[in-house]
Amino acid sequence: MLLAHILQGVPEALPLNPIARWEWVFPVVEAIHICGFTLLVGTVVILDLRLLGISLRSQPVSRLAKELAPWIWTGILIQLTTGPYLFSGDPREYVQITAFRNKMLFLVVALIFHFTVIRRATAPAADSAPLGWRKPAAVVSLGLWLCVLLAGMWIGNL
Amino acid sequence: MSLLRFCEWLSRTPLSVSLREGTYEYPVLLILHVISIAVFGGMAVMGNLRVLGLAMRGVPVSQVIGQFRAWKWTGFVILLITGTLLAMSDPMEYYGNIMFWISMLILLLAGLNAMAFHFGAYRTVAAWDSAPLAPVNARRWAGISLFLWIALIFAGRAIAFF
Repeated sequence: MLLAHILQGVPEALPLNPIARWEWVFPVVEAIHICGFTLLVGTVVILDLRLLGISLRSQPVSRLAKELAPWIWTGILIQLTTGPYLFSGDPREYVQITAFRNKMLFLVVALIFHFTVIRRATAPAADSAPLGWRKPAAVVSLGLWLCVLLAGMWIGNL
Repeated sequence: MSLLRFCEWLSRTPLSVSLREGTYEYPVLLILHVISIAVFGGMAVMGNLRVLGLAMRGVPVSQVIGQFRAWKWTGFVILLITGTLLAMSDPMEYYGNIMFWISMLILLLAGLNAMAFHFGAYRTVAAWDSAPLAPVNARRWAGISLFLWIALIFAGRAIAFF
């Protein structure tokens, strides 16, 4: 089994790792993780609402996407540093939690979707000739990020 | 009736008991609560970043603030309802939780700050709508708002640890 193989390779948390040593480190890093998610969701929702034609309709999609990009990247950067650090506190435990594995799956799919499908739907070429599938794509994007959030909450049994 | 007595009475009401003892009530409320924080908070933060001249500089301020107002209000109402019900699930627990009261104080300050912005600096928005950077008094409120939002997430998460 691939999973059993992966599990064997996952190390125990390092004893000197602050998150394993002090009780307060986890909630603090987790709060930063929630702030990062709020930022990421805020930017993604604004872009998806624009694609759906609900908000900021007078703005060209490509310009809005370009202006939001640095903040989407900031959100992703915060998440991809705080997330793995939370994971490092008890790696063996996390890889066995179904919700954790689901979250990683949704996260990978959401990121790939964003940087392929959404990127194409928000490209300058799409301004003059909006792609027919841009609205379903925005709905899928919102759904994927919602799944990441829900699976993430499930990791700690809510 | 003192607040403690009120909480004691509240925790014995059928609604409070069913919220506390039901299998699905609490998780469902918590999920809705967090989703509304992400949507409402995310939009509020992006509005603040626009006023601060840090995001979406090419989009007029009134569009960023005005076109998401309905969403923010919807999110805020869901946030308040689910938050009230979550607190009602165990009033005695929250009554004695210092982080709960600090969260409520921050929420109040955030509300007052938003009102001060709306009825203060924002009234002249037509004059600086398309400027990449808002006037200093508007930026001050946006900065305070951003700080309060981050503080609220920290304090809110800390409720579970006290």
